Amino acid sequence: MNFDKQYDVIVVGGGHAGTEAALAAARMGCDTLLLTHNIETLGQMSCNPAIGGIGKTHLVKEIDALGGVMGIATDHAGIQFRILNSRKGPAVRATRAQADRQLYRAFIRQTIENQPNLSIFQQSADDFIIENNRIEGVVTQMGLRFAARTVVMTTGTFLGGVIHIGLDNYQGGRAGDPASNALSKRLRELPFNIDRLKTGTPPRIDGKSVDFSVLEEQPGDTPCPVMSYVGKPQDHPQQVSCYITHTNAKTHQIIREGLDRSPMYTGVIEGVGPRYCPSIEDKVMRFADKDSHQIFVEPEGLTTHELYPNGISTSLPFDVQLDLVRSMQGFENAHITRPGYAIEYDYFDPQGLKNSLETKTVENLYFAGQINGTTGYEEAAAQGLLAGINAALQVKGKESWTPRRDEAYLGVLVDDLITLGTQEPYRMFTSRAEYRLLLRQDNADIRLTEVGRQLGLVDDHRWKTFQVKQEAVEQEKQRLLDTWVQPESEQGKAAATILGQPLRHEYTLHDLLKRPQMDYDKIRLMGGEVNIDDPEVLQQVETQVKYQGYIARQEEEIARLIKHQQTALPKTFDYQQVKGLSNEVRQKLELVRPETLGQASRISGVTPAAVSILLIHLKKINALKASA
Amino acid sequence: MKDTIVAIATPPGRGGVGIIRISGPEATLKSISLELLENTSKNPRQFSFEPRQTYFRRVVDSLNRVIDEGLVIYFAAPSSFTGEHILEFQGHGGPVVMDAVLQRAVQLGARLARPGEFSERAFLNDKIDLVQAEAIADLIDSSSQQAARCAVRSLQGVFSKKIHALNELLILLRTYTEASIDFPEEEVDFLSNSQVAIQLTELMDQLALIRNEACQGSVINEGINVVISGPPNAGKSSLLNYLSGLDSAIVTDIPGTTRDLLREKIVIDGLPVNIIDTAGLRESDEVVEQEGIKRAKVALEQADQIIFVSDGSEDNDTGDDQRLKLLQELAIDNIPMIWVNNKLDLMAQQKPSLCVEKKFSKICLSVKTGQGIELLTEQIKKLAGFNEVGEGSYTARRRHLDALDRVSENLQDAQMQLQSGAGELMAEELRLAQQALGEITGEFSSDDLLGSIFSSFCIGK
Repeated sequence: MNFDKQYDVIVVGGGHAGTEAALAAARMGCDTLLLTHNIETLGQMSCNPAIGGIGKTHLVKEIDALGGVMGIATDHAGIQFRILNSRKGPAVRATRAQADRQLYRAFIRQTIENQPNLSIFQQSADDFIIENNRIEGVVTQMGLRFAARTVVMTTGTFLGGVIHIGLDNYQGGRAGDPASNALSKRLRELPFNIDRLKTGTPPRIDGKSVDFSVLEEQPGDTPCPVMSYVGKPQDHPQQVSCYITHTNAKTHQIIREGLDRSPMYTGVIEGVGPRYCPSIEDKVMRFADKDSHQIFVEPEGLTTHELYPNGISTSLPFDVQLDLVRSMQGFENAHITRPGYAIEYDYFDPQGLKNSLETKTVENLYFAGQINGTTGYEEAAAQGLLAGINAALQVKGKESWTPRRDEAYLGVLVDDLITLGTQEPYRMFTSRAEYRLLLRQDNADIRLTEVGRQLGLVDDHRWKTFQVKQEAVEQEKQRLLDTWVQPESEQGKAAATILGQPLRHEYTLHDLLKRPQMDYDKIRLMGGEVNIDDPEVLQQVETQVKYQGYIARQEEEIARLIKHQQTALPKTFDYQQVKGLSNEVRQKLELVRPETLGQASRISGVTPAAVSILLIHLKKINALKASA
Repeated sequence: MKDTIVAIATPPGRGGVGIIRISGPEATLKSISLELLENTSKNPRQFSFEPRQTYFRRVVDSLNRVIDEGLVIYFAAPSSFTGEHILEFQGHGGPVVMDAVLQRAVQLGARLARPGEFSERAFLNDKIDLVQAEAIADLIDSSSQQAARCAVRSLQGVFSKKIHALNELLILLRTYTEASIDFPEEEVDFLSNSQVAIQLTELMDQLALIRNEACQGSVINEGINVVISGPPNAGKSSLLNYLSGLDSAIVTDIPGTTRDLLREKIVIDGLPVNIIDTAGLRESDEVVEQEGIKRAKVALEQADQIIFVSDGSEDNDTGDDQRLKLLQELAIDNIPMIWVNNKLDLMAQQKPSLCVEKKFSKICLSVKTGQGIELLTEQIKKLAGFNEVGEGSYTARRRHLDALDRVSENLQDAQMQLQSGAGELMAEELRLAQQALGEITGEFSSDDLLGSIFSSFCIGK
């Protein structure tokens, strides 16, 4: 039967990508339906109970600046917060939080249920309605037909999911959930490039069976950080510690002896797993000289005893899992509550997507999250948000929006995926961002709140908070420039002591703060006035001042490249017509079909000479068109 | 925003006059000009050139020592070749002097133009007719290939090994640095111990050694490589001897006489050319000759031009077809080829001739009498781009030295940042250093870097 209403946007899937997509589209005023096979698992964290990490947090902050839910949900569900790289520079710092799974899910569900324009429906999607290469709707398991102007697919690892524990395997989308096989079969009929990836998860442990007294405790940071720009420490529930244990020679012995029943080492699993998140059997085999590996023991929540032993992801048979867990200190009597497993699933070559995340072959159909070959809640949520935004823009008949590589990690993520594709589950790292010094966790709000406001994603409260902070930052920067320190003054002498050399002439506070030895604490120490209480504002000003030279250099580079980034390559560009391109370059361009000259230049093997030749050809055809 | 580019506008070699052009926005062009040209009481430090007038000026280095003297012409935008502001210097064409002027301009903030970039800008600024689009594209393509070949040649042997060793060190250092940044919980924090500092010092020492040697020029070849090939006993060695004016190759009428590669440096009207004679290609059971044929094949792959010599007097109905088939077997993509049909003196009623085909040009001549040789030397010059914008060995070398200069600056800044405890800023300098070195060694992507991290350290919670 046909459902009696046409939606603007239908989001298939209720994970981190799906929930952000649905919320974004609804906030932008679109009539949105979230279709999930199980309402109880909306916002489920399938793997480790943590949000953030180097590179990942940067994405969360960007989602937050664009009005997304992940940052705020983390503040309401986070049970341990730490700032990673706190002793390194601000560009590479990242706030990471352990999250209570139940609290996180509850917060997401509450947000979704209270979001105007957003409805939920529980039923798995089995088929699409496609007319003339344009998606028109979705058909559910029981044959219910939902009409939609746009559809966002966020089906995670559920497409053709196969779960492996030892040499046993069965179909599933996640432990306890069914795979989406009908949909997978349907998608395979469409003109997408599909391949298999693999990921894994460790066995969960009953905390009552673990001896914490022999484990190293890892408490959260004080003062307790927050994730969202509008978050407060008071939002946090009760805080708890994590613990650290290690594998040992005996553990490694047990693993080696179990390899003959490992699906990975016996060739049962063909999908490629992530290099940065290897299973414990991989770590032991690939780094045979290491006789111990660090294992982080993370609480799953405040109201459960279950623990997540981060670092022993495995698909070894259950008896081997039990032995290897019990070989670790503190875990001698451990009880496994859920076995670890590896999961293989379908993903779509993201080179088949536009930078709006719309598929190149089916109009108005968007893909976001693990379906695109990424891994991680943050990567999924960021794509979901973007797909939701662009589906909504499409409905409104407006141009799509995607941040550039120099504007956001979200831009790096999408550009890497659509330009280079991926051969393993793609995870964000700061080393992927060439403009790392510009893309900091402390300035995602400065980079994105304004555009978020224009898109209709940022509410009044967030907008006001942002404006107040921005104004304070600008005023303080101006004050630093206007305040002079004389060499002979008390302050000048104090500054000389801190810098280890006398001031040769008068300096502004701005100049002094630039020096590596100087920070706001030292300025206070030398008797300089600091009237601002908000540490965020001071940190922002200090970072901008200290990075100034590098920021200016990167901005110059951006200005040079921006013209190429804005030069569109026509969809039907005929690379065979371009004289002077080598066959190799031509093939690569035909494969990726870049949307802009800038994207073309980032395809490996496309030389500056090739870019010049493309530019000349473009000018020629544009001029011919103009004269025609 | 456009950057300012500089290039030598005259062909490589030893011409009488050499022209260097700097093109870019007015402000940078003028500021470069003020430093590049000597200030005297008569010519005070201000930009006072009238467009299209000639001025006699000296080019000086940072210590005000004279590098060269000659004529300066200023072209104001848009009335110039590129449509931008251009400063042209006409000096004494020797390659060493020209290189020194080029280097000085780069020091002052100009960037070495990519091959064909002047023409590219001219085209994009509507200074060249649309009809010429393909010609410009061809120019960029061919001069880029020529530059790439020059670069490969200048990177042969010891220099190449050292550069690659340097690159390995840089990758290692970045692997340690980036692992410390991206994986702070993995017990790989090398920024907080002295490991990274030691590696950085070692890298800087190695770089200093290489720059020193490279500046002395001892490790960089000059000239284009022309490889002579073809069936046995067609007159390949005779051609080499004729061109070099020396009897350096043993010539007999026994097929397979030449077994090893013979190299001869000659100068054709100022164009330095390395002529390499190879063993005649044929099936052979003899070990020494087989080795010679193997070497010949390697030489062919590294050639800038290939001369295919055949015996035109062995003519019958199918002779030319057979020779053409052999020629096509030898052809390598993107390396220009000249087919020399030799022994014109034994052919009936034939005059020296040049016939340009799509994939090769065919010349009928006689090495024995010298008839038609000038057709060959002209064609070699033409294919070398000798009459167009030059991208010779000196430019290739300058590109490499320029890249090494930038690597050196970045490493010094990296050291400073490390000492002041800013690991992420050091990492940025190392990234820029790798980008500059990548102009010589090829691109090293962020994914390559991650690969290096994951294969070096056991990472993954």
